[in-house]
Amino acid sequence: MISGALALAPASTSAQEPQRDSIPTDVRVGILYQPVFRPGIVMPVIAAPPELRELADSVLAVILRDLGYSDRLQVMSVGEDIPLEGPVNYGLWDQLGAVWLLLGAIEGPADAPVLRLSLHDVVYRLLQDVRAFELPPLRHPAFRMTLHSAADQVVRWATSSTGIAATRIAFVDRSAGGLEIFVVDSDGFGLRRLSDDSSIAYSPAWAPSGDRIAYMSYVGGDPAIYELDLNPGTSSLLVDLPGMDMTPTYSPDGALLGFAATVEGRTEVYSYNLAERCCATRLTYARFANSLSPTFSPDGKRFAFNSDRLGQLHIFVQDTQDGSAELITRYIYDQSVHNAAPDWSPTGDRIAFHGWVEGVPQIFTVAPDGRGLRQLTQEGRNEDPSWAPDGRHIVFASTRGGSAGLWVLDVVSGRIRGLVRSAEGRLPDWSGRLDSTFLVGGTSAAGRNRDNP
Amino acid sequence: MVINFKREVSWLSAIALALVVAGCGGAPAPEPEPQPEPEPQVQPRDEAAEREAREAEERRRREEEERRRREAERRRVLSVIAEPVHFDFDKSDIRPDAEEVLQRKVSLLREYPGIRLRIEGHCDERGSNEYNLALGQRRAESVRRYLMSYGIDAGRFATISYGEERPLVDAHNEEAWAQNRRADFPITDHGRLEPGD
Repeated sequence: MISGALALAPASTSAQEPQRDSIPTDVRVGILYQPVFRPGIVMPVIAAPPELRELADSVLAVILRDLGYSDRLQVMSVGEDIPLEGPVNYGLWDQLGAVWLLLGAIEGPADAPVLRLSLHDVVYRLLQDVRAFELPPLRHPAFRMTLHSAADQVVRWATSSTGIAATRIAFVDRSAGGLEIFVVDSDGFGLRRLSDDSSIAYSPAWAPSGDRIAYMSYVGGDPAIYELDLNPGTSSLLVDLPGMDMTPTYSPDGALLGFAATVEGRTEVYSYNLAERCCATRLTYARFANSLSPTFSPDGKRFAFNSDRLGQLHIFVQDTQDGSAELITRYIYDQSVHNAAPDWSPTGDRIAFHGWVEGVPQIFTVAPDGRGLRQLTQEGRNEDPSWAPDGRHIVFASTRGGSAGLWVLDVVSGRIRGLVRSAEGRLPDWSGRLDSTFLVGGTSAAGRNRDNP
Repeated sequence: MVINFKREVSWLSAIALALVVAGCGGAPAPEPEPQPEPEPQVQPRDEAAEREAREAEERRRREEEERRRREAERRRVLSVIAEPVHFDFDKSDIRPDAEEVLQRKVSLLREYPGIRLRIEGHCDERGSNEYNLALGQRRAESVRRYLMSYGIDAGRFATISYGEERPLVDAHNEEAWAQNRRADFPITDHGRLEPGD
């Protein structure tokens, strides 16, 4: 469905007159999103004993926000006067226009409450799915993430695609001591600083396991790659070749770290064996040019990267084992082309990057074979895209609306929401789906890593 | 120089002593009441002291002059070293105006072989954050190579890139960008700032 919507851009390759800026001639300038039907979902007030009323209201607010942010469902508000006792009145909900009805109840002792969610198909008048979630206490750090996981399950029941609420975004922002790594939940809550280097920290990248973040730091004087362990929150040196080590990225299986390092004054892409903690292997060979910002395909067999080897800055794709680099962005003669910051979608079908349009960076996506280039933004500066695990949402840094910060875009519907307001927030990286250890029954259908379609 | 000077001092003292002895020899016969110190005895002593004071003053003056000269030289060295070189947008090659700046550094680095530098590459804010790190590194490297090509030992330079994170001018226009696309040259070891050291 996603690939269908994205494949609409024509892939004409005919030669054209040079343009005055770097917009490739076949790109669809402007935001031409398709109108997408979103089935209506309604979630009335959650049933709960009086002592759990406050908890129940918080639960409802978090889940409703998550369902809305999935951009796959239309959240409908409902009056509190609708009778909920007795058997489900499908006719009533159908009349209100709902396709899905989500009923919640909080039960059990106040110190170990359980949230029971049941999703009803209003159209076919049947119970779609039901599940119980153990809730941590209201102020517990895992409270919100548990609800995000629950909301993601509801999205999966309704749409067959797991939601992306139980995720976090790492990014760079200014702190008193310099640039540090920060993290925020997918719904904009839980913002906190992770690194404490009082230096320059750059380019955070989530490990697929979701418990570690690699990043570049100047903390030791010589820029190198460090790894933050989120539990307990300590940072240690990971890779330090002579010169500058930068732009780390994990392979999807977590076995390799891709990064860039200085070779004879220029920058080349390397991989490092994380399992054996050794052996940096050079992947790119371009004398007199820079190659950087690697990003792996979901199967790890290829990687996209950024290089100025043609005298312009472009995105290339190359086999991880061997093979030559293939240009996937359009070379435009005698233009100041600046395509940068590639991120390969976890679903594999698109590579997001930012490219200059009249000197201003905008978010684009393109297929890994260079077809179907599509421009996604046009307001303000828009930079450094990173895909959510659903391969449908992108977080990026933007100055749109005069309000700099991080924004989330649904590439299917074109809906955009603010995530973090910050003049200097940048270089966001979206995590894979994060574990919630509070799921009753132990196994989460979402899996540890990115999407499993 | 220092030894000669000391010799000169001891020679002068010897003369002064001789004059004192001569004065004693020319005195009238001893009297029961000793005379107050006679003029001839005092005069040579004062002359010697004055001369010594003059010499000391001269020395101080010369030292001060030397100190000022060195301070001026030191300032000259620091300003020649500190002068940044600038780059064209998205380029790392050495411009003709940068070459003039670097030539001044070359002769100075030859004159003061003890000086060690860090070459810092910087970029304007327009390019991508990560690409600017690589570009800054290339700028630092291209400066290092230029200096090496004039025979300056590679071991005297470290390079680092700060990308766009250390702008010189915190503004968002062409003029600021031109100032920010640069290499800086902080000194990591002054040597003794002495020629030939």
